[in-house]
Formats: sequence, C-alpha cells, structure tokens
Amino acid sequence: MYLFNLDKLPGQQSMLFFHLLARMGIEALVIVSPKTPLASVGYFQNAKEEVDLQFCKKANIPVMRRELGGGATYLDENQIFHQVIIKRDNPIFSRKISENYKRFSLPIIETYREFGIETNFRSVNDILTKEGRKIDGEGSGDIGDCFVWVGGILLDFNYKAMSKVLKVPEEKFRDKIYKSMKENLTTMKEELGEVPPREEIKSVLIEKFEKLFGKLEPVELTPRMIKLMENLEKEFTSPVFLFKKTPKMLTGVKIREGVEVIYGMHKAKGGLIRAAQEVEKERINEIDLSGDFTLYPKDCLEGLESNLKGKIRKRSLLDSKIEEFYDKEKVQSPGVASEDFLKAMKVEK
Amino acid sequence: MSKIEDYDMPDELYYHKEHMWAKVEGDKVRVGLNDFSQKLAGEISYIEIPEEGDEVKQDDAVGSYETGKWLGKLYTPVSGEIVSTNEDVEDDPTLMNKDPYGEGWLFEVKMSDPTELDNLMKGEKAIEWLKGEIAKHPKEEK
Repeated sequence: MYLFNLDKLPGQQSMLFFHLLARMGIEALVIVSPKTPLASVGYFQNAKEEVDLQFCKKANIPVMRRELGGGATYLDENQIFHQVIIKRDNPIFSRKISENYKRFSLPIIETYREFGIETNFRSVNDILTKEGRKIDGEGSGDIGDCFVWVGGILLDFNYKAMSKVLKVPEEKFRDKIYKSMKENLTTMKEELGEVPPREEIKSVLIEKFEKLFGKLEPVELTPRMIKLMENLEKEFTSPVFLFKKTPKMLTGVKIREGVEVIYGMHKAKGGLIRAAQEVEKERINEIDLSGDFTLYPKDCLEGLESNLKGKIRKRSLLDSKIEEFYDKEKVQSPGVASEDFLKAMKVEK
Repeated sequence: MSKIEDYDMPDELYYHKEHMWAKVEGDKVRVGLNDFSQKLAGEISYIEIPEEGDEVKQDDAVGSYETGKWLGKLYTPVSGEIVSTNEDVEDDPTLMNKDPYGEGWLFEVKMSDPTELDNLMKGEKAIEWLKGEIAKHPKEEK
C-alpha cells in the first residue's frame, strides 16, 4: 500500500486526489491539507440547497460535491485530511460499514492520545473527546473497485466561516449553528492551548496507520496524476454534477453524533411558521420560532419558546405544553394552532 | 427460502457478486439488494436508481445509496433497458431494509442478452458464495 504524504494541495485537489486514486484502483493512505479553503457537499446533497453560494462566490471559496456520504462542510489548511483507499476485496475491508469506521478510527484516536487528547469513537462517524466534543468527523464511499474512508484532524477550526458557508432558511439561524458548533466541536488548539507542529502530527498519524496496514511505501504525486486531477476537477465542479437533483432535503445540520440543529417551516392558515431547534438526544436544547403569523399578546413568543426548551420531542408532551401556555397566558393566534407549531418543528405523529 | 445464518436467501433468485439479486420474469429481470448486504450496511437513508429508458450494462454501477455516512453503489446484474423503477423505495429507502426481496425492489431491466444469467449464481453455488462472504465480513470485529 502506498503513502502519499503530501503537504498542501490547491483546495479542491486535496479532495479530488482520493477520487482519482480510487478510480485508478490504487490502494493508499493520503495525508494532505487544502492550501486554500473550500466547501464540500455530500453526494446526496444539492449544493444550491445546502451551501450559501453567494457567500462562497464573494469569499472565493470553491464548492465541490464529493462521491462520499455525509453533509456539507468547510475545509481549510487547519485540517489534516487522512484518506484511506483500499480495494473492496482487501481482507481489511468489511461490508459491515460501521466496522470500517471503528477500525480505521483507531489510528486517529491513538494519534490524538499521543498528543495528550483522550478520544473515543462514537458510532456512526465521529471521534469525540472525553467531554463529548467532536474533534474528527468521517465519511466514506465506494468508488470504482475501492472503498474510501476520509476524515480530518482538526488543528483549529474557523467556526465563523463554516456557519457562513451553510445555507440557512433565515439569517438568524446562522447564529444558532455557530453557537452549537462552538459548544459541540473542539480542536487541538482548544484542547492543548496551541497547535503541535504539523510535521509531528503527520508523522505520528502515519506511524499509527502503519500499525494497521503494515509498512507503507512512500510515493510522490506525478505530473500525470496532477493532469488527471485537473480533468476530474472539471467534472466535480460542473453545474450538472454540483446541482444534480437529489432526493435529500434541507432539514438541518448535524453538529456531532446526537446533536443537530433542525429547521422546519410550515404554512398554517394564519401565516408561515419557521422553527430552528438544537436537539440533543431528542431533547430540545434551544428553540427559535419566527414567521409572519399573528400572536397576542405580541411579546409572548419568547415565553412559548422557554416553555418548549428542555422538553423531549414527544408529540403529546409538546402539544400539552403549548396548550398549557396558551391557557395560562391567554394567547390568541388566529389561524395558528398547536398542531401548526408541531408541524414546523417536525415533530412526527 | 434458504436461511444462511441470519440472512434470507430465496432459492428462486439469481445473485450477483455485488450482492444484488435478480428475479427473472420472462425477458424482464427485477433487481434488488440482498438481505446480507442491507443488514450489514444498516438503515438506508437515501437512494438513487437509474431512470426508465436507461440502457445499462451487466456489472455496471447504475445507482447509489447512503447509510451511516457511507455511499454505496448499486450494480445491474444484467444488460438491457430499464423498463420500470420502484418509486416507493425512492420515497422510503428503508423498504430495502424492511423487505429487501419484496417492497424493497429497485428496478426492472428488459434483458438484451439472457445468456448473461449464466454469469450469476443460483442455488447451491449462491449459498456457498454467501457463506464465504459471511466468513469474510464478520458481524463484529474478532
């Protein structure tokens, strides 16, 4: 198995390279960082629905769709990507997908440990610190005859940029995503107070992966590979591929396993209701309701939000909490009933 | 219906090495993902299948599905024209988990070359192959 210990590649190439190796059927470990920022969306995402394309254009952040699962993400030089490409007939590959995540996360966990950060693998695809904050997220997919598994060591993270890159139904939801990420994600810099030397991290990462794969053969990127990557870049950034209609709908942003910000919208008779909630294990941590419906007394919306905070997203419970609040505060909302709020909050029947 | 360990394997079906099943009905073949593969993959969240009228070639990847942040590929066991697709499974991909050989079917191909069925596995041969796959991909890390 080869080792491509690369430094930094132009933004998209840092993600395109593993696509190229997989299509060529080359088994390798790639260690690389993007020289310039980029945004990447999962295969079942439409860039128009998930990414603020206007912001990206203004900020000169290219957007690409990858041939892997997962959601939209912002990538920059503060991440060291680890990309594993193995043939699907390699005995180390398992059709039990969760097994691959567990197995390939081990070198990452050991690398963090080497630098004094204790982490654990959390199914499906996260590596979390002891405090439960995400420090590495992973994605995978089958490309050609290969299985590809990728993730990134977070040296530091630009939370602001990530919250700006994501498309949100309403601007004020952006702040919710930012705050939720600040609380639920962490980086080497945050954990250690400083970022260890990049070369040192890469060297430990390679050493830990070699425990799993055996001795890796270091190789260089060839001019032919660069040429082929440039061809791939045209395909992956083409509007046909990038904006391909997909069945995935914008429903929220997964912050880490178990925590997500869910958006919802519902057109009630009395007007449009928008809801953004930070949900942790089905419990509402935060909720923000807005829209163009009418509510009397006018200032009671915050009270309704407070009444829903901390509650489990159980239909009967939330319904009774809303009704209780309406009775207590003598709330009137023409054309908007408890059921409409529940629909906007995507609380299933 | 055979049961190989925990996995259902209807006897009348043909099986492709990428874990697709094929049910022959005249010159048409109904295609889906087998029980073993759906169980190991986990709950399927999204799916993309070919469109009616598409020409497909045996062994080609013709669609995708996502489960647990993994993007898997769907292959066609025979060549021909896609004559119908399962809209229900597009709306609810978990049908592939709930009923892989029934409501979870994916698409139908009008075969252009029925001799290609010889390249697929059936009966004892398919059972032996699946046993090998089960041994290669244990449920939990040993």
